[in-house]
Amino acid sequence: MTQHVSEKDVRAIAEYARIGLTDEELPAMTEDLNAIIESLKPITEYDLEGVEPTFHPVGDLSNVMREDVEGTSFTQEEALSNAPKQQDGSFLIPSILGGGEA
Amino acid sequence: MDFACMGVDAIQVGLRAGDFSATEVAQSSLDRIERIDGAVNAFLEVTPELALAKAAEVDKAIAEGSFDQMGPLAGVPVAFKDNMNQIGTHTTCASRMLENYVSPYTATCVQKVIDAGGLPLGKLNMDEFAFGSTTETSAFGTTKNPWGLDRVPGGSSGGSAAAVAAGLATVTLGSDTGGSIRQPASFCGVVGVKPTYGAVSRYGVVAFGSSLDQVGPFARNVRDAALTLNALCGRDPLDCTSQACDFDFTANLDQGVEGMKVGIVPAFLDAEGLDREVRNAVMGAADKLASLGAEIVEIELPNAQAAISAYYVLAPCEAFSNLSRFDSVRYGYCDPGHKDLGGQYEASRAQGFGVEARRRIMLGSYLLSSGVYDKYYYPAQQIRTLITQDYLNAYQKVDVILSPIAPSVAWKFGAVSDPTSMYLADMFTISINIAGNGGMNLPVGLGEDSGMPVGVQLIAPPFKDANMLRAAAALEREYQCVGVAPDFAGEAAVKDGE
Repeated sequence: MTQHVSEKDVRAIAEYARIGLTDEELPAMTEDLNAIIESLKPITEYDLEGVEPTFHPVGDLSNVMREDVEGTSFTQEEALSNAPKQQDGSFLIPSILGGGEA
Repeated sequence: MDFACMGVDAIQVGLRAGDFSATEVAQSSLDRIERIDGAVNAFLEVTPELALAKAAEVDKAIAEGSFDQMGPLAGVPVAFKDNMNQIGTHTTCASRMLENYVSPYTATCVQKVIDAGGLPLGKLNMDEFAFGSTTETSAFGTTKNPWGLDRVPGGSSGGSAAAVAAGLATVTLGSDTGGSIRQPASFCGVVGVKPTYGAVSRYGVVAFGSSLDQVGPFARNVRDAALTLNALCGRDPLDCTSQACDFDFTANLDQGVEGMKVGIVPAFLDAEGLDREVRNAVMGAADKLASLGAEIVEIELPNAQAAISAYYVLAPCEAFSNLSRFDSVRYGYCDPGHKDLGGQYEASRAQGFGVEARRRIMLGSYLLSSGVYDKYYYPAQQIRTLITQDYLNAYQKVDVILSPIAPSVAWKFGAVSDPTSMYLADMFTISINIAGNGGMNLPVGLGEDSGMPVGVQLIAPPFKDANMLRAAAALEREYQCVGVAPDFAGEAAVKDGE
């Protein structure tokens, strides 16, 4: 089977998708992705010269702006209600500038 | 009495006559779930307080004589796929990622069903984030097919189909990105409708492929599905792709198919891998429609074959983008103990997402990368143009198209394990999502080889979903009502519809 992506490529793809991948998982994921990408081959073989793309099934929509009136929205408490970690009414993340610890 | 085994009309006739109360309907349905769902595993969460509170509202309306203003689903036991937000319930998408997520708001589709008087029984199992065709990728255990507990219910809306087939709800909602309503409906022998893209608001439904996703109903007869569509469809300011709709979907159910032009696609019926009993069911349905006065017209959809590869480019790309929101910060699983944000992202997403979700996110990440995009993503959007054009050409000749849904009846657990061969099972449903048409499953009896439910697909032109409902209703009158699966029908079974 054609090798579309190497283990090194898959490592890079995972990093871009922000998904950790262990060394043990790497070979199987590489194999799976190669098999799936191979199955997409027909798409590279069509003669599509001059065919316009359709990015959306409802073609003739234009952007709709709502009236500029105040509506209801989440309170701060509601917005934070599912946060794994929070502090002083804010989402809490590990330090990104160095120095502190979350 | 097990009211969730009854159809909408039968429940509402009983409520109006005072034979029973909405509270009894809700309580009996909750008891039945308690008694039966251990075997089926359709529900991920049961919501007795919400169901009983709504039932009290319906009973109050009955007492005050305002029942007829309640809406088309007044007093009807309903349940929702677990990718639909409903305030105060868990909305897990059957993923560890959202195991502890409690919705702070309600999806428009859920709100509309509740506003129409539905009694919300709970949230239903699914493939994780709707990635799958069997419900086996659920992080909380698979759902079993009520027609044979050793068989898959289909997916991704497997819980929604199984709940209706087992008589655990009268109506449920599912979502369909590549066949996720129609295929499980076919496997479980129930009606399942994916309306035209834009007919139902997607607001509050956890997004998978935003240009493909559409919400629709499951029911045990066409009329119940049509009544639910009446409640569901219409413009929602919170989803800018949703369209206005003032159509009564029940209006032409009794009209028959006299003079209707029904397309069949010979290439579909000759497709390699299509089981004999499914092919026979489709041919049989075509014969019945012809005998009822419809004209059967052979049509071609020359680019339909390209739909699978186009879908498996477009859907993972959109999923990759949509699932980037799970960042372990605002909501969702957060792997503890990380001192850097990047490490927390990677560990949380690695452990929160199951393997199929990770596979699809990775695939989308690859397909959208620089250099690869031009090879797959852009051509896939060009193929979408060709497929859409194929359908529009067909609709110049026909009012509705009849086709298979899945190449086989529900298979046994473990019978299909290679992910690419599983993808092939979607070949008859996918092109409809790509073009944005409506499509639905109608059960037409049991397969002569397997004894399992077989369904046929009816496909309608954009926003002419009424065409397929009309043809389905005519066919439904010709076939024995499939109803609740026999193992669960029991003594309490009540015929639907009548």
